[in-house]
Amino acid sequence: MSEVACVSGVDLLMDYLEGVLPAETRAAVDEHVASCPKCVAFLASYRETPRILRDATLVRLPPDLQTVLAAAVRAELGR
Amino acid sequence: MGTLEGMTAPAVDSTADEALAARASAGDAHAFETLMRRYQDRVYRLACRLTSDTDAPDILQETFLQAYRHLVSFRGDAKFATWLYRIATNASLMARRSRARRPSEPLDGFLPRFDADGRHAGTPAELQITCRAEELIDRGTLAARAREGIARLPDAYRDAFVLRDLEEMPTAVVADVLGIDPAAVRQRVHRARLMLRGYLNDLASGGR
Repeated sequence: MSEVACVSGVDLLMDYLEGVLPAETRAAVDEHVASCPKCVAFLASYRETPRILRDATLVRLPPDLQTVLAAAVRAELGR
Repeated sequence: MGTLEGMTAPAVDSTADEALAARASAGDAHAFETLMRRYQDRVYRLACRLTSDTDAPDILQETFLQAYRHLVSFRGDAKFATWLYRIATNASLMARRSRARRPSEPLDGFLPRFDADGRHAGTPAELQITCRAEELIDRGTLAARAREGIARLPDAYRDAFVLRDLEEMPTAVVADVLGIDPAAVRQRVHRARLMLRGYLNDLASGGR
């Protein structure tokens, strides 16, 4: 793989970050990103997206639902 | 069964999940309660992410009841957490199927755009504004829009994204839970990330 453009590099990002790209392809992506500020910016936002959404959707089980769950399971265990 | 009453202040128990599951399977109710306390938050969160906070309470209950009824089928050759997540995921998918899906606007419009030379459209600052979403969008709005964006994903992408990226399960385990190849997991997660990256980028830029 001799050259990577932004458009073809985007398609490889998941495999790139998971470390499953062939060495030659990975090197071609590295080479492109090293000289492309747009891909550096895009890659940063691609990597950060899951973390932002993970933090934004963190919820804890409300205490009233804990009570309901405990009662339901208690009934099942008591059978 | 009095130990269930104190669930809001669980005692620390470092016994391995698999050992507790074996004891619970042999009739030790306390062992099952310990497992439930350990996982109830995570199962609830998973159900909220895969469905909605309306469906999550029923899914939570269904998951633990199913787990208890099928403990004898837990062999211990997989991790208990993976086994439980599989039950919770299946319960979530069943709940979702039972509801007529409301039409929602697809996220395809948020996929990355390129110029005629195949270069990213937009400046580096514009492309990276997603990273500033927490700084530019207030916390409550971001939480609501995050849930909305995830719900707008195609179901197959949503399942893979939630398990892999939000619950941080290894790709191989997600593949096992969803019954698809690891390569398909990566492809679905990738598409979801591209759509959600663009969606967050739009929100952070003051768009929809």
